Parts: sequence; C-alpha cells; structure tokens
Amino acid sequence: MKLSWYAIALSLLVAGIIHIIAVLGIPQIAPRNAWTRLTTLADANTLVVLPHPSPAHQSLPMMAPDMRYAICRYDLSRGPVRINTRIPDELWNIAFYDPSGTNFYTISGGDIKREKIEIIVSTQSNALLDDETNALIDSEDSLVVTSPENLGLVMIRAPLAGMSYADRTERALRRASCGRILPGAQVAR
Amino acid sequence: MPKIVQLTAYSGLAVVVGLSSAWYMVDKGSRLTTSHSGPWSVWYRAGNPDADPYTRAHFARQGRLPVTTTSALYYTANRDDEGDRLTADCDYTVEGRPLDAAWWSIAAYRSSGRLIPNKANRYAFSNRDIARGSDGRFRIVLSAEPRPGNWLPTVDSDLFQIMLRIYGPRSSRDASGERRIDAQLPRIKRINCP
Repeated sequence: MKLSWYAIALSLLVAGIIHIIAVLGIPQIAPRNAWTRLTTLADANTLVVLPHPSPAHQSLPMMAPDMRYAICRYDLSRGPVRINTRIPDELWNIAFYDPSGTNFYTISGGDIKREKIEIIVSTQSNALLDDETNALIDSEDSLVVTSPENLGLVMIRAPLAGMSYADRTERALRRASCGRILPGAQVAR
Repeated sequence: MPKIVQLTAYSGLAVVVGLSSAWYMVDKGSRLTTSHSGPWSVWYRAGNPDADPYTRAHFARQGRLPVTTTSALYYTANRDDEGDRLTADCDYTVEGRPLDAAWWSIAAYRSSGRLIPNKANRYAFSNRDIARGSDGRFRIVLSAEPRPGNWLPTVDSDLFQIMLRIYGPRSSRDASGERRIDAQLPRIKRINCP
C-alpha cells in the first residue's frame, strides 16, 4: 500500500477534531455525573443529609468515610434561596456548584468565625430587583452568594474530628435548613 | 487498493487516535492538567471555575464534586514508591510527617472508587484520629490481615488506590513555584508480598 502523506495528515486533523468533540462532550453526556446522581436523592430547595459513606452506600464515588455531607439542590427561578446552619467546627466547608460540577464559591468554617451563618443564594437578575432582596444586601448577618444560573447545588462538608464525633456531626447537619425565601419573610435575625 | 478500503482505513485511524487520546487525557491526565509527586497525582484545577475541558470531563465522568483547589487538594495514588500497582496481595506502609493543613485524611478505595468492606469498619485515618510518634510522624499499614497501630484494611479487593485529601492546605508555594505540600507527601512502601 502506498502511503499518502496527504491522507495521513487529513486523518490526524480529523482525529484532532474527534478528540476535541469527545472531551467537550463528556460533561454533557456523562450519564453518571454528580448532578444526575444527586438530583435523584433530593428535591429542589430542600436540605438533605446524605447517608454516611460506607462500602454498601456512597452517594458519589470516592467520598470521604470520615466526613459527613449535606446537600441542597436549589432552583432560583422563583426567587432567592436561604440556607441557615450552625458552624460547630472551623473545618466545616460550604461549597457551591453549578450543574456541570464547577465549584464557583466556597466558604470554610475558619473563614466564617461565627457560630451560625445565613446564606442567601440569588442570581444576578433577581438579587437586587425586589425590596425584599435589597434588604438582604444591607444585612450584616447574612452572606449573599450570586449563582451563575438558576440551578445549582450547595454541599456542606463536615470532616469528623474522630469517628466518635459522627453522631453529633450528623445531628448538627440535620439542624441546617435550606428553602425558598417566602415573600414578606424576615431575613436577618 | 480500492479507494473505499483506503477511506475506511484512514477514517478508522482518525476515530481510534481521536477517541483514545481523548480517553487517556481525561482519565489519566497529562502535564496540562495533573502534577505528579512520587506515586501521588493531583488534578490541580479540580473544581476551579477556570478549569480546562479535560479536568471538567475527568470529574464529570467520575461523578465527583471536588472542592476548588484553593480550599482542598485531592492526591491519589494507585502505585507504590517503586511504581508497582497497589494490590491487596501485598502489605504497604504509608509513612509521613504531619501535613501543613487544617485537616487531612487518608482512605483506601477499590479501583471503582468504592470503599473496601472490612469487619473492623475502618476506612480512613485523619490528622484528628491517627496515632503518631512523639515527633509527629505517622505510619499506616495497609494489609488484608489485622496489624497493630494504624491499620487500614484492604480485605477483599485486588487492586486498590489511596486518596489523601487535604482541607485548608496552609503552605502555598516556595520560591521555585513548587507547591510545598508536594514535598511533604507520605511515602508508600511495599513491606511484604507473597
């Protein structure tokens, strides 16, 4: 067979295009990405404490067995969402994700330096529009996080200071809340 | 050779090269996306809003939600310091000095990312519960059989991997731009093998 350099160069070019399409397409077509796995576990705008990671049950692969997790999948299409939690340990970490899994905002217990925190999640467009949200910006006690899109996910991670802390850490996570801000609701307390 | 055979051969070549290179760079990483230190590797833009498409694809395919690398680092190893694959047939030690971080933890997983079932219900050691020497150094033994000290069971799994997660890494970079924590990573040594 006579090698045609032109044909080889052309195949490599096509290979490059296939490579790029595959890499860019994987996040969209990955059937078991984190978002798909977690949406089946939690309704929108509700805080769910995930079952503790064990060989029998892991909500996501490679979760930390010595950490406890809570998630809130939010939908801001009908207005901002509020998250309230105590931060009993400076190791706690609150991470915000868009549906593709990008961690667009993170705050750790060490940064908060307070025993409890109120976080308001809103989009650029509904952040400043109504009176209610204007009040939020002035509130010193709450932190406003701007979500790049209506849908997203908050994950609270609570590393254990030892396995004997598991129960009390899970209880602390269960006391956290996540929900839509109802019109006329008091925001800062 | 008929044109149609040539066309098929060249398109086949394009598909194979395109897909296998994409798979490799998404699954294993490359210099663009991962850095290596001994047996440990880390995707250094994991979770970042400015992450490249390979990093995004890697974590989407794995189904993980990493915290951005300024807050947490995830090092994985599926080989020992000699470069041999970690297997439950052998025993290993993971030895190191305390890492400069608020919290770190070492856990073993099957290749699939699942935890390894064991009767001791022991899946990880963190800086809060690991037994350490007076100089702060620690030693974990990975073995299918119970061991004294920090024993991390590898029962019932042939190949496995270790993950070291570091929350609130304090040391940033030294003068040469090297992440200082890379120099503090524990050593993974095979101690006996039938």
